[in-house]
Amino acid sequence: MPVALEVTALETRVTSNVNKPEPTLLPEYCKGCGRCIDSCTKGCISLGTEINPLTGLVPVTLDLDRCNHCGLCIDACPEPFGMRPEGEEVAFELVDPTHLCGPRPFDSPIPIPRPDVTVPLPERSTMVMKGTYAVAVGAVLAGCRHVYGYPITPSTEGAELMAKVQPALDGVFVQAVSEVAAVNMMYGAGGAGKRCMTFTSSPGFSLMLEGISYMIGAEVPAVFVNIMRGGPGLGNIAPEQADIKLACRGLGHGNTQAIVFAPATPQEMLDCSMLAFELAFQYRNPVVILGDGYLGQMTGKVRLPDHMVVPGIPEWAVSGDHSHRGNLICSIELSEVGLEAHNLMLDAKYDRMTAAEQRADLHRCDDADVILVACNTPAQSAKGAVKELRAKGVKAGLFRPITLWPFPIDALRAVLPQAHRLVVVEASSGQLEDEVRLALSHAEVQPPPMSHVQRQGGMLPSQAEIVEHVLSVEGVR
Amino acid sequence: MPSSVFYRQFERHDHAAGLHAHATTYCPGCGHGLAQKYLAEAIDELGVQDRTVLVSPVGCSVFSYYYFDVGNTQAAHGRAPAVGLGHKTANPDSIVICYQGDGDLASIGLAEIISTAQMGIPITVIFANNAIYGMTGGQMAPTTLTGQRTTTTPEGRTLFSGQPLKVAEMIAGLDGPVFVERVALYDNKHRTHARRAIKKALELQVNGVGFAFIEVLAECPTHLKLSPEETEHWVRDNMEPVFPLGVKKDITDGPHYPTIPTPSFDVERILSVLGTTSEQPTRYATGFPAHLDPDDISLKLAGAGGDGAQTAAMLITRSAIAEGFDSTHIPSYGPESRGGTSYADVHVAAVEVLSPAAPHPHVLVAFNAPSLAKFGPTVRAGGVVIYDSSIITEVPDGRADGVRMVGVPFTAVAKELGSAVVKNIVALGALQGVTQLFPKDTFLAAIRASLGNHRAMLALDVQAFERGAALAAEFVAGP
Ligand SMILES: Cc1ncc(C[n+]2csc(CCOP(=O)(O)OP(=O)(O)O)c2C)c(N)n1
Ligand code: SF4
Ligand code: SF4
Ligand code: SF4
Repeated sequence: MPVALEVTALETRVTSNVNKPEPTLLPEYCKGCGRCIDSCTKGCISLGTEINPLTGLVPVTLDLDRCNHCGLCIDACPEPFGMRPEGEEVAFELVDPTHLCGPRPFDSPIPIPRPDVTVPLPERSTMVMKGTYAVAVGAVLAGCRHVYGYPITPSTEGAELMAKVQPALDGVFVQAVSEVAAVNMMYGAGGAGKRCMTFTSSPGFSLMLEGISYMIGAEVPAVFVNIMRGGPGLGNIAPEQADIKLACRGLGHGNTQAIVFAPATPQEMLDCSMLAFELAFQYRNPVVILGDGYLGQMTGKVRLPDHMVVPGIPEWAVSGDHSHRGNLICSIELSEVGLEAHNLMLDAKYDRMTAAEQRADLHRCDDADVILVACNTPAQSAKGAVKELRAKGVKAGLFRPITLWPFPIDALRAVLPQAHRLVVVEASSGQLEDEVRLALSHAEVQPPPMSHVQRQGGMLPSQAEIVEHVLSVEGVR
Repeated sequence: MPSSVFYRQFERHDHAAGLHAHATTYCPGCGHGLAQKYLAEAIDELGVQDRTVLVSPVGCSVFSYYYFDVGNTQAAHGRAPAVGLGHKTANPDSIVICYQGDGDLASIGLAEIISTAQMGIPITVIFANNAIYGMTGGQMAPTTLTGQRTTTTPEGRTLFSGQPLKVAEMIAGLDGPVFVERVALYDNKHRTHARRAIKKALELQVNGVGFAFIEVLAECPTHLKLSPEETEHWVRDNMEPVFPLGVKKDITDGPHYPTIPTPSFDVERILSVLGTTSEQPTRYATGFPAHLDPDDISLKLAGAGGDGAQTAAMLITRSAIAEGFDSTHIPSYGPESRGGTSYADVHVAAVEVLSPAAPHPHVLVAFNAPSLAKFGPTVRAGGVVIYDSSIITEVPDGRADGVRMVGVPFTAVAKELGSAVVKNIVALGALQGVTQLFPKDTFLAAIRASLGNHRAMLALDVQAFERGAALAAEFVAGP
């Protein structure tokens, strides 16, 4: 707690009859740099000799007898409250700030929130489109008019569609100089309260992680669509699911989490896209949509929702207008105590997401002996496998997490008791399985024996491989 | 009274404890303080405080948001121009200022500043060049002078450090900026000039002219280990010769940056831009084509890039969905997209497509011999292969498990009709004729719907489709 300091209030002296005021200086606000000294051609200012007890610095001294009020010393002083024109009052007291200011730290205006408006959409006929297009359409209907990105296969088509659609709606599409620039444009536009998004794929997503960490720290909402491709490194452009680890456990440095969607069909790409914007703003946090290269390219049927959103401006936005002038978008907190408090606040937010945003689709899990766990396109193959296995007498079911973070452990836990096996199906070497195991472990659930079907390198586990695996572990022939 | 654009007290500076309420974090004599004071005055004089968004960098001026009573954003190291661009595009009416140091702008953030400057969008960049990394303790900056000792160039620049980067000249060399000037702060005359330049750069944004860039030769007495006065002289005597002052570019009487429009949220406009329609497609089929499979039919169309396999596949998917079924299409070109194979997996399901891949298709359409060789053996028992008999001359014998081999001269028919590009439509017609997947009208409606603006193609496409269907029907009927 800072000590209350009493400093003489400044009196307003009568200025001389010249137009320009005399300079004046409170010694406490002089850093003693001397820049004013050689600015004065009249020699009015000289190096001080005494250390100011409050600052520990040596302020200059003024002798204004010869002063012609030229003001040059004022222009030479780097300190906002240093050398100043005399004659203007400054309410000026150094006291314990907790007594000085009320709930609002400064006299900037109180922001007036402009709420989002939901507008009903007329009935439209079923559309046929690719997964990447479906995300884009969902974003447009969610009110996104700001798209920033850098081309990378296999996500590019989404950006290409936006490059047509956004200008046609007087929206913004910017092809950035890199993914690093793109994510920082999103930091700016999202910080201004706009619904913004990007399309990227694995290598680009890696580059965006630093920016995502800043966004989470500064509580900036945005939607990231990552159509995952084969890695590591440049890998290839075929589908993989090997960024689950990044999205769920590695969103840049620091204590970061974001809701991660893993849709399985073009329709779900659209639905998740709309929901992603809503949740991004509800929680003031980025949201990630993970698709695989197959899903991005896959054309299927898509029904439009029954509403769209005309976004408002949230009260926290730095939107460059009067009402929002007092706002700050920033991830800095110098004090250790303050930064810990900020992280605890983020933790509480993550807890709220974990409680409210788990989503899963359960297919024939009720009586299943064998529960397959899969997301994205592999989930569709697994669904095919469930049908085939049931025809062969194996009671299989599919547990399909729609959110990978928070993992829908509550729904999984509910169907585990009668299952005697979990089979995780994925196009990565166990990143989904790690999420499953971690969620089970945190929930202190003892899972049944687990096994997996994994493909990598750009190949998805096929229905045949899944069936084959289950038949063999179940000893059915 | 200090410019009203500074907060009355610096609440964010250590909660305005004691002297922090009115003192900056800058060392005595630091150039940042002066440049920022002139910036605050310019904002004030131009009356744009409410509209201003100041982007603080990483460097000693990282806490600019402590001082300026404007909308504030603090950016990652070097990214201020990208963040600023985000703000400017979010609200074109806002006045966006990026204040950056030389490590921030001219090292880690080079790509961002160059691309934003080249775009020319009205943003004001104030670039404080103090020839050093201040915040991290006096390391070499891109602008460090030859021979200047820093903690990472203890003996001056080495063969691995290159030469000082002349940023203002570099930015002036770009097409985007309308105004670029380098100024200094070391004496009254130059300070007066710097003030004016900063105000001008801001005014150019207020008037919507374009991107303006001011490089300020700033003093860092602390890391030069000189007194503030000596530092001013150092800037004059050592920096200025390397970084000559003056206007580097001025095309402010040229055209203004175009007006950035206001996004539309008009329902009709959105629905039309997204290509939606309220028209329900006509259904021609009487039910699911269960003669091929009770509930899920898979097809593969394979050829070389340019054969049109993907378009044909898309038309099948559209047809199926128009008939009220579920359908998916996955294209696959992979690395061989350049002239290599291009194949499409299609499913048509009564209720829901499960696994979207077609490893064992009911129907294969092969546009060339390698495709036939590769996928022919994968066709399931009782399936059908339709191939381009004008290209594929050697056909393996029909399989024992009753896979039918149907040759239709896609290419020859298309050429005869005057355009080889419609061979995929010939193939689609053949597919209809052989499989009776859907009635002809279903496909023709899909063709019509997908042509959009290219209606001129319609007559040709219809002809191609009909010829393919007729030839296939002949084939099915047998000689
Ligand atoms: C990604 C990243 N790398 C490095 C740093 C450390 N860093 C902080 S300030 C700075 C240099 C700033 O120098 P300059 O832009 O010249 O500003 P000055 O401090 O001289 O005003 C560096 C390297 C960082 N914050 N972030
Ligand atoms: S106003 Fe001019 S003459 Fe007076 S002290 Fe300042 S610089 Fe000197
Ligand atoms: S320029 Fe300002 S801070 Fe520096 S010595 Fe003069 S009054 Fe003090
Ligand atoms: S270290 Fe240099 S640049 Fe940083 S505040 Fe001090 S004088 Fe200014």
